Amino acid sequence: MATILDGRKTSAEIREELKREVKNLSEKGIVPGLAGILIGEDTGSATYIRLKEKVGEELGIHAKMVRLAKDISEADLLKEIEKLNSDARIHGIFIQLPLPSHLNENKALNAILPEKDVDGFHPENVGKAWLGQQAFLPATPIGIYELLVRNGYRSLKGKNVVIVGVDNLVGKPLASILTQESVGTNVTLCHASSPDLADYTRRADIVVVSVNKAKFITADMVKKGVIAVDFGANYIPDLTTGKDKLVGDLDFDAVKEKAEAITPVPGGVGPMTVTMLMVNTVKAAKLAAGLI
Amino acid sequence: MTAQIMSGKDVAEQIRQELAPRVEKLKAEGVVPGLAAILVGEDPAALSYLKGIAKGCEKVGIYTETFGLPIDVTQEKLEAKVEELNKNPRFHGIIIQRPLPKHIKEVSVLKLLAPEKDVDCLNPLSMAKLVTRDPSGFAPCTPSAVIELLDRYHVEFDGKRAVVVGGAGNIGRTVGIMLLNRWATVILCDYKTVNPAEEYKRAEILVSAVGRARLVTKDMVSPGTVVIDVGVSTDKDGKLSGDVDFEPVSQIAGMITPVPGGVGAVTSTILLAHTVESAERLSQ
Repeated sequence: MATILDGRKTSAEIREELKREVKNLSEKGIVPGLAGILIGEDTGSATYIRLKEKVGEELGIHAKMVRLAKDISEADLLKEIEKLNSDARIHGIFIQLPLPSHLNENKALNAILPEKDVDGFHPENVGKAWLGQQAFLPATPIGIYELLVRNGYRSLKGKNVVIVGVDNLVGKPLASILTQESVGTNVTLCHASSPDLADYTRRADIVVVSVNKAKFITADMVKKGVIAVDFGANYIPDLTTGKDKLVGDLDFDAVKEKAEAITPVPGGVGPMTVTMLMVNTVKAAKLAAGLI
Repeated sequence: MTAQIMSGKDVAEQIRQELAPRVEKLKAEGVVPGLAAILVGEDPAALSYLKGIAKGCEKVGIYTETFGLPIDVTQEKLEAKVEELNKNPRFHGIIIQRPLPKHIKEVSVLKLLAPEKDVDCLNPLSMAKLVTRDPSGFAPCTPSAVIELLDRYHVEFDGKRAVVVGGAGNIGRTVGIMLLNRWATVILCDYKTVNPAEEYKRAEILVSAVGRARLVTKDMVSPGTVVIDVGVSTDKDGKLSGDVDFEPVSQIAGMITPVPGGVGAVTSTILLAHTVESAERLSQ
């Protein structure tokens, strides 16, 4: 029976540690500050930004959420970002995506100071991450790495990791973490369309999937004892209630029977992301104070 | 069966011949493509590398100048030089010879390089463009040379199994992303932890970028594989050697690059091509 890689539990552990760290920093006069920008009133985005605000406050982080009208002009948005860039109490800034269609996402993201870019979306951070330099990386890949490290996989040396679905937000930055010499894994980058996909996944010690197709990875595509990490999000109707439910890209019940460890959806990688945003914010505050 | 040799010298010559009319056209429009090099200190290896570049520039009609700075140059002076060259319309490409001395914050300098003139992808912003498939930047010259060789010898990438030995190094990882961007399935191997017989043998394209003489031996390569050797080191007899045990491997590989005369021979020509490309873009 597979170990469930419980993102909620691991997340709670990290938050406990962060709380202590924030307290220590605050005693030295450094209160980590996180600002989020929400444009418009999309319910999903509004819920998500409230969650970030709440988690930040629970940890003792100074959380400042800026809510802007959905018809805000690009110039005014850039001005708001500039204000946060120059606000010494704010160490981390994120923009809740997606933006309304009249706004240029890249332009907005690039306006955030790289040293405050706790989402790791600024090109300077993307480039540095790929070059193995000190940088902020997006929450999902560092969350996946942390979830493994804290659940018995401290050393991944020599492991074959197969990443299925290599995008800019998860797959590529995850590959940049795993191919650092200190980590020492062998990483296979597959497109969802790669021919003979199963041939790659069957040889994986760790398979990471993020293609947003329900039951994309089936039990016959993995070897016995695999560690399976799922960052897919798919809504499919429940057989009995007819209501939509959230599932990942793994055929969870079947893969679970073969796996040594597996992340559930929901409750796996997902809960790690907000926590890793807080980890990055604390890191940003420490970097700004010259502590690291 | 012996492998087809992928000649870097031939490819470099071909590229230079293609560049000549483009340079002529630019000159007719009053634009002389220009490449600036910044060299801190007087490291003989760096100097001889830059001399080679200068020679290549001359051949294709690119104006080039090396800006030498003393080894104890301050951060401010070095950064001022970069900014001055960024603004100087005479130069369409800028390279900074590395490593920089220890007292210099290297990343801060490289970050200043104007991305449109960053012909060797030294600025992290240029690397980000490559990673996110934004074609407005330039890829680094060595990985570009690998892709150029594969293209000129009509090797297809789409859906192919490409194994990169030395995936933990920046060159290996970057070759990986470039192959991935062209729809290969890419396996980045840490040569220290991988099982070579298992991984390398499964490759359709095998790229090695480690810098260890004869790391890749015949028993690790399958018949017909395309083998690209990026590594350069000296073997125990002091002879220049690639990562691949050339003679025996060339007996079973489908195609193979020699060292010297392979990837290295193309790399500096890519720098010239990027400079001309940049001059074309900037003069439009």
